[in-house]
Amino acid sequence: MKEIDDLTIPDLRFAQDHEWAKLEDGGVRVGISDYAQDQLGDVVYVELPQVGETFEQGAVFGAVESVKAVSELYMPVGGRILAVNEKLEKAPELVNADPYGDGWMIVVEPADLRQLDALMNSAQYLAVLKG
Amino acid sequence: MQNEPKKTLLHGWHTVHCANMADFGRYNMPLWYPAGAKQEHLAVLTAAGMFDTSHMAAVLVSGPQSFELLQRCFTRDLNACAGRDKSALTPGNCTYGAFLDENGFVIDDAIVYQLADQSYMVIVNAGMGGPIARHLEARAGERVPRILDLSDRLGKFDLQGPRAAAILMRVLANPEKVLDSMRYFTFKGCMDKMACFSDAVRLTDGTPVLLSRTGYTGEFGFEIFLRPEHFIQTWERVLEAGLDFGLLPCGLAARDSLRTGAVLPLSHQDIGRWPFINHPWEFALPFVSQGAGFSKAFIGDQALLNIRSPEYTHAFVGHDLRKVSAHDPAAVIDAGGKKIGEVLTCVTDMGIGRFEDRIYSIASPDRPEHFQPKGLSCGFVKTVVRLSPGQTVTLKDNRRKIEVVIAGNIRPDRTARRPIHQMMAFGR
Repeated sequence: MKEIDDLTIPDLRFAQDHEWAKLEDGGVRVGISDYAQDQLGDVVYVELPQVGETFEQGAVFGAVESVKAVSELYMPVGGRILAVNEKLEKAPELVNADPYGDGWMIVVEPADLRQLDALMNSAQYLAVLKG
Repeated sequence: MQNEPKKTLLHGWHTVHCANMADFGRYNMPLWYPAGAKQEHLAVLTAAGMFDTSHMAAVLVSGPQSFELLQRCFTRDLNACAGRDKSALTPGNCTYGAFLDENGFVIDDAIVYQLADQSYMVIVNAGMGGPIARHLEARAGERVPRILDLSDRLGKFDLQGPRAAAILMRVLANPEKVLDSMRYFTFKGCMDKMACFSDAVRLTDGTPVLLSRTGYTGEFGFEIFLRPEHFIQTWERVLEAGLDFGLLPCGLAARDSLRTGAVLPLSHQDIGRWPFINHPWEFALPFVSQGAGFSKAFIGDQALLNIRSPEYTHAFVGHDLRKVSAHDPAAVIDAGGKKIGEVLTCVTDMGIGRFEDRIYSIASPDRPEHFQPKGLSCGFVKTVVRLSPGQTVTLKDNRRKIEVVIAGNIRPDRTARRPIHQMMAFGR
């Protein structure tokens, strides 16, 4: 288990359920945090939505499975799915190896960008992890 | 603090080695180390893994009436449970079974080791030393044997996997003599320097151990018992001796997926507060012949024979690695859409996969070329109707439905029962 100080927490937005969100040209990219992947252990399967589906903020958009457990993935911002990371189908371990990079999960066309601003910044997220 | 989780002697070692820790059976235990649960699981199938199992408890039962007490309380007939020919348990043999209450419900499952005439060691699950010791005391007759709860007073680790014997040969004194002809469910040696029933088993540094050819992964290997003062240094020594054989320290996650793939039930999850009957481990009850009464009287026997609304526990295996969450809870649905039961365990055995119509293990000698399993979901269900191997049912939790097949066996080509001379030469 990583110590809190060993966790990577880049300058992104974070939801309570440990998803990260990053505003890019054309959408908000979403994945799970280094803390979340460390807690889950080896990710063996990622269930992702179809491009074009629409979800509210906080709705379940998929699931991530470790050897032991299945955990739900929640939309950090509501909107339409613009892209999903198809690499995860064959290489779910990317979520462990590179949670903020190649382990990304979806790109969302946000319905309301204010939802993004209301998420935690990295300092606030770190404070939550430190409890 | 009563609610603080307990720590085994290796707790500091686990944290220094960056294990992901969680509470299990009131102990703070490693779930996995940095290699991850998948690599740990695969190591036990192809090389070896080491598990800290010192959270498990031992109860010593000795003196007059010990045999009679265990014969009355344990589900195995101690006069007919050893080896394939079902002979009487003798010193150097051990047997798996359970302790039931008067309703036929499981208090805990256990392995009973016969140390000497009227002297036994009972290994139960974490936190169960006290309850089982009290259960035995309460059911002893006028002459109560000596019952000693050794919880937290011994070291125990499991060395499991096809290379376990080759690793042990590097640390045992007289390894050929110790391992020669050692059958499944037999043991040698003792934890004390005092003379024991058989020749002492010692490591090359003189440490005495009780070496048992058992384990709970379905794979070849040993459970090793020793005194606490020798525990940490011996753990480190064995680990070092096995490094170049691919030996990994393994946590409870790998133990859980390994035991499930081997169709081994977890006490308090797959067996528990319901009648201990109609499950895949019929051998754990002393049936005379299938369903036709028991060869001895024991606590819970009448309840088991007089069940009015039977429940059945079955193992299952999925078509891919996707799981349901047993905690949701997840239901078992028959072909007609009717709920017939609940899911007790659902994990992924990462060492197996389907190819054409068969399941292969990463260690199957006849596996297809370039076979790289993605894993299959597997586990146990409890149903109100009897199902047969090969039957398909649907498991449904709040998220998804998966189709699974009721199975008599899950991970093929397991090594637990292989002749020891084969395993001593494995990989050399």
